Amino acid sequence: MISAALFYGFSAFIIIFALAVLFAPNPIVSALSLAATMVGVAGLFFALGSHFIAAVQITVYAGAVMVLFVMVLMLFDLKKEDAVSAMYVRFLKISVAGVILGLISGAITLSGFASNTTIMSVDTASVTPTKKLAVLLFTKYLLAFEVLGILLLVIAIGVVSVSRIKGGTHAKS
Amino acid sequence: MPSLESISQIGLNHFLYLSSVLFVIGLLTVLMRKNLIVILMGIELMLNAVNLSFIAFSSYAGDVHGQVIVFFVMTVAAAEAGVGLAIAVAIFKKFKEVEISFFQKLKG
Repeated sequence: MISAALFYGFSAFIIIFALAVLFAPNPIVSALSLAATMVGVAGLFFALGSHFIAAVQITVYAGAVMVLFVMVLMLFDLKKEDAVSAMYVRFLKISVAGVILGLISGAITLSGFASNTTIMSVDTASVTPTKKLAVLLFTKYLLAFEVLGILLLVIAIGVVSVSRIKGGTHAKS
Repeated sequence: MPSLESISQIGLNHFLYLSSVLFVIGLLTVLMRKNLIVILMGIELMLNAVNLSFIAFSSYAGDVHGQVIVFFVMTVAAAEAGVGLAIAVAIFKKFKEVEISFFQKLKG
């Protein structure tokens, strides 16, 4: 069972920094807020008993991916503010997001998870150890794991070759 | 009006609501912002929201398979961020800007 104070504390942390990603005019502030959001999500993973995934979240997302984002932002040296779309376009976008939020929340409410929350509470004895995850990863999901390794190799080569592209058909200079 | 017990007892639905709010914030980031890199950050937010709901389901059902899927999603998301940023660098080299409106001028 997860304590309510822990859950609400992490939720407030996550939502505040996610809103900072959305509203911060400076992309660097957005990137650092995103890193903070990911740390908060990792805390919730830890609270839910998946310790290995929480550690991977910190090292891969809050570490490697965010460093990549911040480094590319520094490379660009962006000073210009975001252009703002027309009023009706913004209204349309916000209402689409609101409709999606309403649909998802309605589906969660109607699905019956709300009525049996006490039955489906986390049992601390059944918290899955990392060993179980590792065994599953290297037996049932071995092929997927290896394919993922090949994918990462292809991506690494592809990223280098794409970022070395010069000019093209209609370059400015 | 939710009862006091549903507020103090944290269940699966609480995590799902949090996940949906996080997903919609990421969606709004993708829709509202014009900077290509901030749009990629919005995609990362949406992936994180989905990962959170995966972990919540896996934890409440006592099943490890959800964690394996989250592991794979994280790897693919890292790869996707790398490719997206490489394309951003290529766009920046051509136009000296990373505004999303420049994608309208691409001729294929």
